[in-house]
Amino acid sequence: MTKEPILRIEDVVKKFGEVVALDHCSFDIEPGSMTGLIGPNGAGKTTLFNLITGVLQPDGGHIYLKGEEITRKKPYEIARKGVGRTYQIIRIFPKMTLLENLIVVGKGRKVIERARDLLRLIKLEEKKDDYASDLSFGQQKLLSLAQVLMLDAHLILLDEPAAGINPTLQNELMVLIHQLNEGGKTIIVVEHDMNVILRHCQKVIALNYGQKIAEGSCSEIQKNETLLEHYFGR
Amino acid sequence: MKTLSLKKIPVSLGIAILMAFLISIPFFASDYWITLLVLIFIFTVYASGWNLFSGLTGYTNFGLAWFIGVSGYISSLLISDYGFFWLYAWPIGAILTSIASIGVGYILLRIKGVYFAISMVALTEGTRELFGTEYLAPITHGGQGVPFVAGIKLPTLYWAILLLAFLSLLICYKIISSKFGLRLLAIREDEQAAETLGIHTTRDKIIAFMISAFLVGLAGSIHFTYQNYIDPSFAFSIHLTLTPIVMTLFGGIGTVFGPFIGATLFTLIHEILWAELTLLYMAIFGGILMVLILFFPQGLLGWMKEKGVLPRIRKI
Repeated sequence: MTKEPILRIEDVVKKFGEVVALDHCSFDIEPGSMTGLIGPNGAGKTTLFNLITGVLQPDGGHIYLKGEEITRKKPYEIARKGVGRTYQIIRIFPKMTLLENLIVVGKGRKVIERARDLLRLIKLEEKKDDYASDLSFGQQKLLSLAQVLMLDAHLILLDEPAAGINPTLQNELMVLIHQLNEGGKTIIVVEHDMNVILRHCQKVIALNYGQKIAEGSCSEIQKNETLLEHYFGR
Repeated sequence: MKTLSLKKIPVSLGIAILMAFLISIPFFASDYWITLLVLIFIFTVYASGWNLFSGLTGYTNFGLAWFIGVSGYISSLLISDYGFFWLYAWPIGAILTSIASIGVGYILLRIKGVYFAISMVALTEGTRELFGTEYLAPITHGGQGVPFVAGIKLPTLYWAILLLAFLSLLICYKIISSKFGLRLLAIREDEQAAETLGIHTTRDKIIAFMISAFLVGLAGSIHFTYQNYIDPSFAFSIHLTLTPIVMTLFGGIGTVFGPFIGATLFTLIHEILWAELTLLYMAIFGGILMVLILFFPQGLLGWMKEKGVLPRIRKI
């Protein structure tokens, strides 16, 4: 018996004036999977993340989270249902401390304790009282991921998590993301670095001009003629 | 039983000593000084109320006079036309203003940045015109205003506004040190990111707006009782909006004591300059403001935090 998908994108359309950013895009994401979302700039990847998280509303189609339609829900409602995301351009709260950046997201009684645990996990506990703006770029990326973890999201959308950071930190970050996936989190990763995608993802979805042009396992994707032509120019 | 931390004793003891001194002022000070302090405390509450909303959320409210005027009018009319005792009229004005602010906030807080600021100015100006028209004159007395005597002695009024100023600063402190305060700061830092992290930004903005409306409205009610007169041109004047903003910027936006320090220094400097250099005081005052904006853009407390004189971080 197949598991119900954790996320279903059904015939989603998004236009910005005459520009069709997403053109009848459909796919399912299995719970506990790690999926790579690839495509050239302007393919619609970030737009798709914005639609899933409620930042934008689609012009057509439906989005379901664990069977419940979330197409028109507000961003905070979707976040509280367990969807967390990071941004292509880091969006933490710069004039708040690291600890405050996490506490503000958390719910319940042991928020401060949990925030400290997460700072320990990303090895930034000694900087807990520093302003987030004082961190390096890579450290801010880790903080951004910690915020999503503080939300206790079970579907995590990562928009180019490895971009702009050194290989050592990139490796640490991907190890952490893998651990989260092994712990049951469902992860969708947007990345331009195909090595990251092929090494870490079980499935890949490729977009181009707002349309899904390929979907399959990493080995299937590597042999996909359409994708090779559109994405790699071969 | 909790043991009192030694580190906390000096601050709370200092505040207690200051409050004891301020409470005793009417027993030995002249009416001039009591009146000056009344004005300082009124503007402390105005500035603190503005800071609580605008300082934390980043939504610049250029309609503070709307809270002041609406509450001021409600309580003044209750006292003058319906014989209400001031002790009941003041909170009624403030509560009704706070309730009205829910509707205002629900509509206008969807607008961001300069458009929100302009819409609050428009609301205030529109209300001022409305309260001055002949159509509402049977209720508001139109443009001629409402002279009235509330039957409250100056020391009593002084203690009332002192208490309100203390409570305003305490409420500010409690909010800034709370998760609610952090959520408001997150809205200021990046509202969209805050929403995608589960923060109900609309609800939190409206709550802060309501609290600001209540505190500022209550101070407004006291202000017009002190003046024994209210009319639309002063009740909704831009001066009542801009002065608390300048005071907050002066003292330190987003801080607890910034509004109080700003209100105190601003009022004292204004008073000294007006008394000693009557012909030049506005020019000199403007010069002082420019120096402050250029060299202390974060306000005095913000500058002290940057220099390490005061701690940078909030205690949550």
